[in-house]
Amino acid sequence: MTTVLSLPVLGPLVAAALMIFLRGLAVQRFVSFFALGVSLVASTVTFVNIWDDGVIRVVRMSGWPGSFAITLVADRLSAAMVLVATVVVTIVLAYATGQRAPDERSSFYHPVYMVMAAGISQAFLAGDLFNLFVAFEILLMASYVLLTLEGTNEQIRAGTTYVVLNVLESMILLMAVGLVFAATGTVSMAELPARLAELPDGVRMGLHLLLLVAFGIKAAVFPLFFWLPDSYPTAPSSVSAVFAGLLTKVGVYCLIRTQTLLFPGELSDLVIVIGAATMLVGVLGAISHRDMKRILSFHIVSQIGYMIFGLGIGGVAAIAATIFYLIHHIPVKTSLFLVEGIVARDSGSSSSEEVSGLARRSPILAALFLVPALSLAGLPPFSGFLAKFAIVRAGVSDAQWIGIAVALVVSLLTLVSMVKIWVGVFWGDVSPVEKASIPGVLRHQKTMGVSTGAIVLFSLAIAFAAGPLYEFATKAAEQLLDVAGYVAAVRSS
Amino acid sequence: MFEFSSVDSLKVLSCRTRMTSLPRVLGQEVIAGIFPPTMILFPAVVAQFLTGALFLVGFRRRPNVGAALGLLVLAASAAVVVSRGVGADEPLTETIGWLSTLGFDLAFRLDGFAVLMALIVLVVGFAVLLYSLGYFEHDSTYARFVGLFMAFAGSMTGLVLAADLFTMFVFWELTSICSFLLIGLNDKSESARQSAVRALLTTGAGGLCLLGAVGILQVELGTTAFADLVKLQPVGGVIDAAIVLILLGAFTKSAQFPFHFWLPGAMAAPTPVSAYLHSATMVKAGIVLLARLSPAFGQSNLWRWWVVLAGVATMLIGGWRALRQTDAKLLLAHSTVSQLGLLTVLVGLGWSTALYAGVAHLLAHAVFKVALFLGVGVIDHELGTRDVTKIGTARHRTPLVVVALGAATLSMAGMIPLFGFVTKEKALVALLDAEVGAVGVVALVGVVLGSVLSVAYSVRLLHALVGGADPEPDAGGVDHGGHDPGSPLVRGLLGAPVIAAAAVSLLFGSIAQRVGKWLVSPSTSLDASAKSKLVLWPGINDALVISAIVIVVGSVIGWRAPLAVPPSREKRGSRGERTFDVVYDATLGMAKRLTRITQPGSLPMYVAVTSVIVAAVAAAALIVDGLPAFEGFVSDSPLTIAVTILTIVVSIGVAVVSARFTAAVFLGGVGYGVAVLFLMRGAPDLALTQVLVETLTIVIFLLAMRSMPRSFAPASSWAPAPVRIAVSVAAGVVVPLLVLAVHGARTAPSVAEEYAPRSIDEAGGANLVNVILVDFRGFDTMGEITVLAVAALGVVNLVRVAERHRRVRERTRTAPFRRSAILDELVDRWLSKVAALVALYVTFRGHNAPGGGFAGGLVLGGVFVLQFLTGREPHLRHRPIRRPTTLLGAGLLLALGTTAAPLLVGAAPLESHIWKPHVPLIGEVKIVSSMFFDLGVFMVVVAVVLMMLLSLGARGTSLVGDDGGVAS
Repeated sequence: MTTVLSLPVLGPLVAAALMIFLRGLAVQRFVSFFALGVSLVASTVTFVNIWDDGVIRVVRMSGWPGSFAITLVADRLSAAMVLVATVVVTIVLAYATGQRAPDERSSFYHPVYMVMAAGISQAFLAGDLFNLFVAFEILLMASYVLLTLEGTNEQIRAGTTYVVLNVLESMILLMAVGLVFAATGTVSMAELPARLAELPDGVRMGLHLLLLVAFGIKAAVFPLFFWLPDSYPTAPSSVSAVFAGLLTKVGVYCLIRTQTLLFPGELSDLVIVIGAATMLVGVLGAISHRDMKRILSFHIVSQIGYMIFGLGIGGVAAIAATIFYLIHHIPVKTSLFLVEGIVARDSGSSSSEEVSGLARRSPILAALFLVPALSLAGLPPFSGFLAKFAIVRAGVSDAQWIGIAVALVVSLLTLVSMVKIWVGVFWGDVSPVEKASIPGVLRHQKTMGVSTGAIVLFSLAIAFAAGPLYEFATKAAEQLLDVAGYVAAVRSS
Repeated sequence: MFEFSSVDSLKVLSCRTRMTSLPRVLGQEVIAGIFPPTMILFPAVVAQFLTGALFLVGFRRRPNVGAALGLLVLAASAAVVVSRGVGADEPLTETIGWLSTLGFDLAFRLDGFAVLMALIVLVVGFAVLLYSLGYFEHDSTYARFVGLFMAFAGSMTGLVLAADLFTMFVFWELTSICSFLLIGLNDKSESARQSAVRALLTTGAGGLCLLGAVGILQVELGTTAFADLVKLQPVGGVIDAAIVLILLGAFTKSAQFPFHFWLPGAMAAPTPVSAYLHSATMVKAGIVLLARLSPAFGQSNLWRWWVVLAGVATMLIGGWRALRQTDAKLLLAHSTVSQLGLLTVLVGLGWSTALYAGVAHLLAHAVFKVALFLGVGVIDHELGTRDVTKIGTARHRTPLVVVALGAATLSMAGMIPLFGFVTKEKALVALLDAEVGAVGVVALVGVVLGSVLSVAYSVRLLHALVGGADPEPDAGGVDHGGHDPGSPLVRGLLGAPVIAAAAVSLLFGSIAQRVGKWLVSPSTSLDASAKSKLVLWPGINDALVISAIVIVVGSVIGWRAPLAVPPSREKRGSRGERTFDVVYDATLGMAKRLTRITQPGSLPMYVAVTSVIVAAVAAAALIVDGLPAFEGFVSDSPLTIAVTILTIVVSIGVAVVSARFTAAVFLGGVGYGVAVLFLMRGAPDLALTQVLVETLTIVIFLLAMRSMPRSFAPASSWAPAPVRIAVSVAAGVVVPLLVLAVHGARTAPSVAEEYAPRSIDEAGGANLVNVILVDFRGFDTMGEITVLAVAALGVVNLVRVAERHRRVRERTRTAPFRRSAILDELVDRWLSKVAALVALYVTFRGHNAPGGGFAGGLVLGGVFVLQFLTGREPHLRHRPIRRPTTLLGAGLLLALGTTAAPLLVGAAPLESHIWKPHVPLIGEVKIVSSMFFDLGVFMVVVAVVLMMLLSLGARGTSLVGDDGGVAS
């Protein structure tokens, strides 16, 4: 179990180190996919096992006792996140290889991408607050490099905003972790709940808020989201797809841990308000733009709001809804960015001012957009509907009427922006750009099309298998709320 | 996962999904569960969807095949509905478990009303699809039409079969989406696109209200099944909110005032779409919802008044507008709005006879309206126009269709002996009898006035059909729209459904009693007491007298109403449409303004906001706990205090100076100050590392600055200077106070106390700092060297890209370093060799004495910096390892190998092993496996320093290409 659990972290790292020597594109692609394949198998094994018995798996680094070793801990939520992340990372890499973009051709792309994959897995598995910080550093540093790989002026300008604010976030997180250690004498997440509970109210609240700020920046919640819509749109599509699908979710994941393990149920009203504000401000940003990638970037913010709202409500039902939302949203968001990449590559732009009539040229591409777009807007029978409705239901149970009203209005505005993209980009006269490639948009972008299709199917599968998945989410939520169980599992490992 | 059960086979298939093993779930329950032989309703719905999906994404060249397959599927579904639904003792029910934990299951129930509605959906669908074969001949959008049409038919079938509100909502939204895509079938038309958006957003907003209601009912009552709701008769409190939300949903969907505006706009769609979706079926969804729920909520005054007021207003507005249209299709559209108002009043009133009349009129309306829409479509096809002043000529070209149109119009007007007369009569009787107080009076008056209007617009349409001009001599060439009447087959396909529907209107009128008996089952399945009958000739009664007056008054108005209405505001869209647009634009404008505030694009402001929040957080903590005690912290030695103050002053200097160079030096100064403090606090390892890192950092800063302007850009102007200073000071003062408070709060022992006793025995090292780095927290170190490596790769990449862009090169050339001849020999020949030995020594002794891989790497790196600064750009060919990236990779692999190797023997990652081999002459040597890890760290650090120096210090492209060694 130890090996299987460490592979999603160590596998891609070894691959990255090897690829510093192996510079041929074909070799690098092989090594990357091999490593991701190994991670995929390993994370599937972990997921299936934990599905069966729900037992928390722990790896104690260097073999020290669980109480002070750095640990990798896989409970239901972690196992699911690692699996989903690995699937998405793999599919997006396949897409990137088909994109024939300059960035994937760089000999840096593959090693850095692998490092990011490792960092994401490590963040989901970290059982130690400082190690979580390290995992953040790994995936952030890799993301800095990926974001500026082509080094165009626009990328550098946007990259500056991204790097500066994320470095600031790292500082805040480091400060928070340092202060947590100063106050409790430990950074083990299993030891912290008991020790944090003994602290004076103010110190506890201060530490809690600092962690919320640090993870909140990463998750792009209001009012700390500004870095995201300024930087994501300039990255290459395959890169921004992974960023959009996964990086902010790492922040959400950490917020979930903060609110369930470290400070169970505290400051929940604040979290609810933040969630509602994030939904609303994000979607307003989305509808005020015309460029597909900008709209989608603002939607990341808005959708995060739903999860934060659910997290704030608390309790098994709401946390289960949040987990389901979190998992469903990863493939949905990723596939929308991938579609955008296909559009941009075909037409040289993805702004509705310059592109139109794509549905006539490629109905399949239109379908690949429409399914996740409707899912994002929360329309049935797609996964987004179930996820959103689960959150709304949890809100009704808790009598969060204002929050529900916001959630429903935001849902409508999400539909507005998706319709804007659809009407602008997919309907209308066929735009004059590159008439040569008419009618097939996907004919020349088969790998990209197939990868996007795969991830759309993945999201459809989530809708189809919603019953068992939701039961899993419920059990994961129960496990999250059972702090004593977590502590015991790590200590006795 | 979908999970299936049905009453026939509940026992066999009661495979409620358990949390069993995942492979089992996937393997058995999904695959075995797909379509159990006893399921029939859901497969019928799915079949329609699949046909649609099939022709949306594939087979686009053969839409006719798609239509044929669609006809087959519709007919088969109708057969299923008839065979399983008509005459069944107990309605067939099916439940498809979807997300059962939350009760999100799809439940179907084939009761009488469902049978009636499903047959309307399927039979009308069949007729319209047949018609479309002729209508879309040679049209490139036909494949899309067929696909969407079938998807819509599936959604609508699912909607009418739904046994609970949740299921209905799911299909409700699907019909909205299909409607959107179908209205926009001609997506090249701006107005079609706009209409589609208006329709989608209006019905979508209503849908969300409905969703809210579903949530409330599920939580409050634990069920949304129609049968349960009728039994429960819920009232009061939150239920009232649910009622309002449900009504909003129904009103938007069925185009009730004030949401009626989207429906006429939807007429931008081709005739088959208008006939099917926006007249016969989809717009009835709201009516279906009201019919299902009025037995449950109808006793509530809130429900009754909303329903009656909205219905009456819609009836009157729609009727009045219909009178003023010159486009026959728009006339029909407004008449549909008006008729929907009537239906809303009848089914929503909560009076059983009215409900029965409503169900009857729903059937009548579907039949005559589909005939009218399709008939006008035929005329449009023949003449290329739908203008009521011109369609009179049609009777010479398609006499049969015009006669059928006339019959359907009479049915719409409620003239004997057509079915429309029977149902309208029934409605009047029901309303006259209704004992519901004032609201009943309003309803009756409204319906009478509405009927006058509907007679009037019907007569106007008749007038247009019979009264138009005789055919002009050149009538053969009247094809304004370029429509070719087409082959006899096409004309047959177009005409047959019209004639058939009109014939049904007539037939149902003449066998009204029998139809009435059929309708008892649909009505009683909604409300057990809604048992009534229909007759063609009721005898002279109050209702008949009213009808007669209505017909006379209406006919006069209709006949006298001018056919040609001067073009009015209607051209610029109706008031409702304009209101919609104003709201839409205002929302967008507001969003833009707000986004400019939340997203101004100013990095300094973002940083400031973040800092303010952090300061506020710290302040909040201090407010709760009170200020921390200072005693323990100011009693340090005077020297410490002096260094601290100096460091603070220098750090203020960093923020104040304008020259980059000075700032970098000051920044270094801050670092050295901190290093001194480390030393004073008894952490020589940390101090050493800090000094080395600071030195390297300054050098790297200076190298990077060669290609930057000397001074910083002027301070940004996001706020006046005092504000900016206040923010900095606040963050700088409050946060340290929090740090003090936190330190004071500690009660538990530090985990570090566990490290010390284990360090020598178990980890095999006397230098605790180093043991922490490579063993206790070795995994952190692994991560950090990865970060370093990636950072170095990023720098090399950026410099390389910049050089490729030829932007930096010119400037870097202007700033070469001067050689220092004297140091040449020393540095080149000896220093690096000695330094390498020293560094390795520092690395290996680190486990037991101050040093270690980090420190060692930094020592060697420092020497390289020295070499570099003395003008010897590190000529790496003198060294065994020529490419720093190779060193980087090797170091990483070594560290990773040490991390992963224990996995091979079943131990934990990084678990250390101590060998004590006996070496001749030296004696027993202790080797700890973590030393290899440390060596990896050393190599990575050296490589990172070299990569930074070489790429940032490069004079031209050559060095990086040769020695950076990262050419692609």
